[in-house]
Amino acid sequence: MSPLPPFGRLLIANRGEIAIRIIRACRELGISPIAVHSDADGDALHVRAADQSERIGPAAAAESYLSIEAVIDAARRSAVEAVHPGYGFLSENAAFARAVEDAGLVFVGPSAAVLEALGNKLAARRSAAEAGVPIVPGTTVALGDDPGPVEAIGFPVMLKAAAGGGGRGMRRVDAAKELRPAMDAARREALSAFGDGTIYVERMIAPARHVEVQLLGDRHGSLAVLGERDCSVQRRHQKLVEESPSPAVSPTLRTALFESARRVAATVDFHNAATVEFLIDVEGNHYFLEMNTRLQVEHGVTELVTGLDIVAWQIRVAAGEALTADVLEASSRGHAIEFRLYAENPYDDFRPTAGRVTAWRMPDGPGVRVDAGVDRGTELRPEYDPLLAKVLVHAGDRPAALARMRRALDETRIGGLETDAGFLRWLVDDAAFASGDYDTSLIASRWVNGPALTDEEAALASAAAVAARMEGTTERLQAVPETGSDWGRQARREALRR
Amino acid sequence: MTDYEVRIGGERPNPAAGWTLVWDDRAQGIARLVSGTASVPIVVEGNRSDWVVTLNGRRISVSVLTRRERLLADAASVERTHAGPTIVKATLPGLIVTVTVEVGDEIAEGATLLTIEAMKMQNEVRAPRAGKVIEVTVAAGQVVATGASLLRLE
Repeated sequence: MSPLPPFGRLLIANRGEIAIRIIRACRELGISPIAVHSDADGDALHVRAADQSERIGPAAAAESYLSIEAVIDAARRSAVEAVHPGYGFLSENAAFARAVEDAGLVFVGPSAAVLEALGNKLAARRSAAEAGVPIVPGTTVALGDDPGPVEAIGFPVMLKAAAGGGGRGMRRVDAAKELRPAMDAARREALSAFGDGTIYVERMIAPARHVEVQLLGDRHGSLAVLGERDCSVQRRHQKLVEESPSPAVSPTLRTALFESARRVAATVDFHNAATVEFLIDVEGNHYFLEMNTRLQVEHGVTELVTGLDIVAWQIRVAAGEALTADVLEASSRGHAIEFRLYAENPYDDFRPTAGRVTAWRMPDGPGVRVDAGVDRGTELRPEYDPLLAKVLVHAGDRPAALARMRRALDETRIGGLETDAGFLRWLVDDAAFASGDYDTSLIASRWVNGPALTDEEAALASAAAVAARMEGTTERLQAVPETGSDWGRQARREALRR
Repeated sequence: MTDYEVRIGGERPNPAAGWTLVWDDRAQGIARLVSGTASVPIVVEGNRSDWVVTLNGRRISVSVLTRRERLLADAASVERTHAGPTIVKATLPGLIVTVTVEVGDEIAEGATLLTIEAMKMQNEVRAPRAGKVIEVTVAAGQVVATGASLLRLE
């Protein structure tokens, strides 16, 4: 802990669980956290947790959380010294980093130049290859309308957005006839998500494990390698589960991954938390995918095994502090797993669901950490990411961590909307996941749309429903009282402005 | 008890005997089913005949019907099967990105009809059954609410 707070006030340009995570780090560092909110979030949990919150626009993310002008304006109004972008939204936007710098503020992240260099996944592929790091075979220039380069690689291939991230703009293509519509869809999704429709192509590596290395760099040239995370449980190329250490990584492979991660990091002059992502094939070869110079959703997994506070270190590094020996020499202890709770229906291709949270009880007790962005009464908004909370466990070894996660899920109670909890509860007992021998196809090949309801489950659910009806009350259970009339909400906003 | 009939999807399961419903936090619907020393954590939502029981993280819709409600429900379902066209509705609010079918198209069950962008993702709306498209009520660029009718299948 530094003797003096790194900053007096810090603006968190994000919402949901990650805004709350950053607010907590600010509190521990003695910094006054300032939130931002759209009209849809006036009452949100992150607004209530901060010292103050600035309105930045209407519900649509493009006009609020993605508006550089609105966020910079909020930073000026609230007289902060630094801005933390969280993940998603503007976190990897070079223009935003530059605008923060131009406003005379500190961006908790790398410089705009680094974001520019790494934000283009194509340029990053070229630099990694030049640094001697293996990359997934494919193009290193933008894909035009000519399908030639794709056909030369051979199907199946992955189409990816040059400005991409978070699985958006990604498409698997198995045959030539699917190529054209897939290219159009990938471009459209990339354009809508990132404002840039440039795509490229990579050979499909399958089966594959998805493993990433956590880095932390300071402004004085020091780089800490904080172990790896296995992120192979994915749907729509987006992560649902992460664990550290990876059951698929041998000590030899770990050394090779760390060396490749260091080489990729050395291609840019960066300071901040960062992640270098790799695919690992069945022979144990690793291929560079991308480097993200921001906080990852799953950073907590590494925090549990290393005992470090990555978010606090991001802020301290941004203020110019040097990484200390205990960070540079950090080792990993035990096993940590994160399960993400999403408002998605796992029995219907993990489609996003909407609704109001009517019951909300999160797990607790030894070795359990919950980073949540909602609570009882929260209305899920279609404009934003459907992540509800992250449940993390830490234990001495992997079997103990799985037992702890099973216990934590049994303590978890959510009502009012469909979540992926049914999938997660199935996953802890799945033979492939439990053995550690699984790959990125686990959901597609083993879960599909979930097992059919068993007779026992149907009988128990029936018994519960009949018993509830027999109580004879006609009032709707769990009808959540309105969380505030319009004038109440207005009054709270007024109070926040003062 | 014998007066109630339970329906889950198309099935009519028998309620498990010997289990007692114990509320833990009734306002939230957090409860347990208890039988001897066995205890199953659940969440119960709903009223009258419509219930949702969350068991092992899975939401299970359960209808608990009296004899009178049973007769009404059966009559309504007969009406539905004879009603003809199926109206495909939006299951989530969002922006219509593309409409892949036109009036007159013969489509197979599961075929992509249109794409709705919600939660920053492209969600494909698929045909609930095979049929002919007789009306398309939305166009690309339009924002729809949950339950909005998108198109009709004959």
